[in-house]
Amino acid sequence: MLLGKRQALLWSLLLGAGRVAAEPRAPDGDYYELWVQSETHAELFGRALLPGPNGALVSSDTVAPLYQYVRLRARDLDTSWRQDSLDVELSLWGRFWIGEREYESTLDGDVQVANVGYRHGAALLRIGRQQVVGGAARYSRFDGARAGFELGAGLHAEAYAGLTVLPRWDSRHHYAYLGAAADSDLRGQGAVTERDRVDNALAGARLEGHWGDFQSAVSFQEQRDAGGLGRRSFGLDTRGRVTRRADVGGNAVLEIDARRFSDARVWTDVRATEQLDVSLEYLHTEPALFLSRQSVLSVFSSDAYDELGGTLSARATSRMSLDGGGFVQRYEEDELGARGEVTARWLLEQSRRTLVRFTYTRVQAPDNGYHSLRSSLARELLPKLRGTGEVYTYFYDEAIRGYRTSSVFAGTLSFKPSEPLEFLCGASVVRSAYAELDAQALVQLRGDFDLSRHGGPP
Amino acid sequence: MSVQNSWPASVILILAMSVAVCIAACRETAAPPRFPHAVHLVGLECGKPGQRACLSCSTCHSPSQRERVHKLPDERLCARCHRDDAHELRRVLAIVPDRPYGNIRFDHDQHLRMKGVEGQCVGCHAGVVRPNQPNIPPMSQCFSCHEHEAEWNRGECTPCHSSQDLRRTMPQTFLRHDSTFMRRHGQLASLDQQLCGACHSEAQCNDCHDITQDLTFERRRPERVSRTFVHSGDFLTRHALEATSQPARCARCHTPDSCESCHLARGVSGARVNGRNPHPPGWVGSTLGAPSLHGPAARRDIYACASCHEQGPLTNCIRCHKVGGFGGNPHPRGWRSARGAGEQMCRYCHG
Repeated sequence: MLLGKRQALLWSLLLGAGRVAAEPRAPDGDYYELWVQSETHAELFGRALLPGPNGALVSSDTVAPLYQYVRLRARDLDTSWRQDSLDVELSLWGRFWIGEREYESTLDGDVQVANVGYRHGAALLRIGRQQVVGGAARYSRFDGARAGFELGAGLHAEAYAGLTVLPRWDSRHHYAYLGAAADSDLRGQGAVTERDRVDNALAGARLEGHWGDFQSAVSFQEQRDAGGLGRRSFGLDTRGRVTRRADVGGNAVLEIDARRFSDARVWTDVRATEQLDVSLEYLHTEPALFLSRQSVLSVFSSDAYDELGGTLSARATSRMSLDGGGFVQRYEEDELGARGEVTARWLLEQSRRTLVRFTYTRVQAPDNGYHSLRSSLARELLPKLRGTGEVYTYFYDEAIRGYRTSSVFAGTLSFKPSEPLEFLCGASVVRSAYAELDAQALVQLRGDFDLSRHGGPP
Repeated sequence: MSVQNSWPASVILILAMSVAVCIAACRETAAPPRFPHAVHLVGLECGKPGQRACLSCSTCHSPSQRERVHKLPDERLCARCHRDDAHELRRVLAIVPDRPYGNIRFDHDQHLRMKGVEGQCVGCHAGVVRPNQPNIPPMSQCFSCHEHEAEWNRGECTPCHSSQDLRRTMPQTFLRHDSTFMRRHGQLASLDQQLCGACHSEAQCNDCHDITQDLTFERRRPERVSRTFVHSGDFLTRHALEATSQPARCARCHTPDSCESCHLARGVSGARVNGRNPHPPGWVGSTLGAPSLHGPAARRDIYACASCHEQGPLTNCIRCHKVGGFGGNPHPRGWRSARGAGEQMCRYCHG
């Protein structure tokens, strides 16, 4: 009962007013989901700007940022007029910066997700900060509203509009976005106008259909950047099961403005046996067209490449899996690239207390390439104590800043005293072309509280 | 500049780890036995005069019980026959079978009464008598009778699955999250957004795709060694190489601004006072006919250029690349646009 009162208080705080009947109603076996997560991260590391001209040494800073994350998700809440109709999601972070502050603010934070969804029969309305993925939208986040409706016959339509959520990592203290120094005499931050959010907006719509094992969707999105047209895209996604063991699919994004495809892909996934999955894929992409149409450079867009390859995934035994894949790329002017990876994962004991992983990767790009080895170990040392260790090594075809290799060593130790709580310590040491020695430490406290109520039959 | 090419200690560590794993694998103890259901159900002499009563599933199991532990037999029940092997008894009863889907909320009584099932457990729990099959039926077996099409389309996996289990258990059959899934998850999410939402919150997407902060996932979750992170290891050294190799992949999350902000902060930008010029000598030819490297580079990967030079009218391209200018007509052959000449972008030159 105490829990119920706390929930009611929480909802009252979150939703301001209105009766939200999240209170358990035992007789009818009602169900709702309520999940709250809190994470505190304390980090400690030294950092330095890149070495100065001709390898000159630069001073380093020791910093200790403290991050706090809070996430909350509730589904199938009741309103006074309708059962299981309300969903709420909230996710935010804050940071307190201890140490050198030339490039950082002392206090920082943001809202990642904050929305309320209401379902009424075949209709859905969601308001707040949310995201839309796939098709013409790619991956977009906005502050606004989305409305969806089940049309029947397997069709679902939705439309959305709002102000684009802009990347915040560009908004660093002292950051001035001025272009090449030779172009501009502007050197002061005050001379640069802040981006106006009203000038950054998006709107889109989507129609999707589900017919048995076949799904297809068409979508449209227009995005305005800095008051002008950013992109206007039309998307097509489709996938289907052609046999019991094989799926095929494809997607394409058409830039309506430039009248050409910026992304087109076809693929097939085959479950050759219960133990073996095979996947083949062809991709044509012109990533230069991800440039805003506001960019003068977009008229030069000609960058494109084709990629063809596949992956294999084999469950050699119930505790061992082997994954491999290889892709070749053909860039413009017939330059070739390739990447491949082989991974083995192995649960050493029947009790699954120890996981070992080995990965070999080979990447070959037009200008450079590398071989990499990765080795990982995760083990339950004691019933509530887990440890992990990882080693990475990279061997570069061409030296980067005079270094042909770089290495990473990382380890963690986590203690889970009870189901919702976990305490973790971690550290890493890196030796690379950009850091003779980079050492970092991390302490994490995590709470994962599931306050859901499960109704229905036993 | 000398080239550092010594074999790093990490290679030795990886080799040592491989040897340790091989040794550990060789020393591995045998897997605990499965409970010999078949022996008890069909292998015992029973039912005839003078013999014990035949055993059925319900002799030992009480499927109507709400808690799983109460569905299983008590040691005392087994001890009625196994009087002399109490130690073995406890060992076998302690075996916890894999429950790949977590705890399913399932009304056994209702199902056992149904036509076609008629009290027979083995139809679903085939593994108890067939060694190569799992004791617990896969979800596809549920779907052979229950279409649940409406719930599927609405993405409602509860209350059959508990929300807690769904967050920790990846689907084994439908929407199996195998190695290919990571590559396809964007498209799958677009086609089945509600279905994904049944288990995953939007906040989980932001673990990797967050644009409100620059703390990457592998730094927030260093203990997930089984995952394949995009930025794992020494990504800072490799980032230019990765961007060249798969520029489309970077662009899924990053805008050109994000490159410039980092380069600016670290002084590798022409925009920073006293910063270092990131371009090599001969990048822009100072006289007509002089070597000029920037043109071919821009044609091959304009995106790399745009990560810094993307300031509309402030850009330096149109200073030279204009009709009658030093760099010539900026429009490539076959350039088409549906825009009118009055559009803002066109007005940079045509205004």
